[in-house]
Amino acid sequence: MDITLPRKQRVPLPRWLKKELPSSPEYFRTRTLLKELGLQTICEEARCPNQGECWSKNHATVMILGPNCTRTCGFCSVPKGPTTRVDPEEPLRLAEAIQQLGLKYVVITSVNRDDLPDGGAAQFAACIASLRVRLPETKVEILTPDFQFSLERSIEAFQDHLPDVWAHNIETVDRLSRKARVKGSHKATLMCLKAIKERYPQVPTKSGIMLGMGEQEGEVEETLTRLRSVGVSHITVGQYLRPTPHHMPVKEFIPPERFEAWRQRCAELGYTAIECHPYARSSYISSS
Amino acid sequence: MPIQVKLPELGAEAGDEATVSYWIAQEGDQVGEGDDLVEMLTDKANFNVPAPCSGKIIKLFVAENEVVKVGDLLCEIEPSS
Repeated sequence: MDITLPRKQRVPLPRWLKKELPSSPEYFRTRTLLKELGLQTICEEARCPNQGECWSKNHATVMILGPNCTRTCGFCSVPKGPTTRVDPEEPLRLAEAIQQLGLKYVVITSVNRDDLPDGGAAQFAACIASLRVRLPETKVEILTPDFQFSLERSIEAFQDHLPDVWAHNIETVDRLSRKARVKGSHKATLMCLKAIKERYPQVPTKSGIMLGMGEQEGEVEETLTRLRSVGVSHITVGQYLRPTPHHMPVKEFIPPERFEAWRQRCAELGYTAIECHPYARSSYISSS
Repeated sequence: MPIQVKLPELGAEAGDEATVSYWIAQEGDQVGEGDDLVEMLTDKANFNVPAPCSGKIIKLFVAENEVVKVGDLLCEIEPSS
């Protein structure tokens, strides 16, 4: 018997959320290479709407430490599941792949690995080390978990292999964190970013927030101020879009003018690198 | 020979489906190569499907609000000679 579950209706999106279909040869080249090299990208896992644009410009954000996450955040489509063994070949494979892709700026991110004693920090460091040897000219940005169960140890793992930019996303305002981010909180995120800055003051730190989850403007202001207070200098502010109808619903579509106002506010607060528009994402064509 | 226009790959949402938002072109319309035929909606973006060639729209195969999969037939165009 064929049982069809009731389909959740797709919500119409405002006019400004429009994208071009991916069509350039570069897009298909990047896609083929990523597939051949067996690399996982957050572009695909998060069903990112910028994928066509970024891949056409030879830009991708690779995901290390396996396909499955140890947390089930309400906004994220990376699957939760049994984690895989840390692959000692991964740093080499990654560098090989980045070389073939010809990336001058690479962003490495990972799933949460709360099962590992260092949260996966040593693997991040090994990947940076491998890239530095093979591609000394390539800039490396990392987007890490909050390392809340191993903070000191995790941060220490990077002492010989620092990234050019270190990002960790705060995602939403404090009040909505409990609902949106399993185990994640403003407290853990701010502690992490503060500890990074104190230990490695020369490394610029970066964070990102999604709007449209039901936050108040005052709460956004508070979030931006808090991030600045722990030394964050790079910020991205974008529209939350649920990856599938089974994820947290969008409460509000913020018009582009509001994003422009937030961009100005970020500049006033002293942020030096600002991406602030509906389709801004943490690693959106980061080389720009 | 009419040209079949199918729902192309949608980038990150490849293999997935999209909802027909509205038809910009109608049956009988003359279109130029690259003209927008139909607006599709996914969970994260609106996007237009362009005409692969100049010609006349012969038939639309999917209705507005219908959910279609990548590769499904959207319409047929009789190319202008």
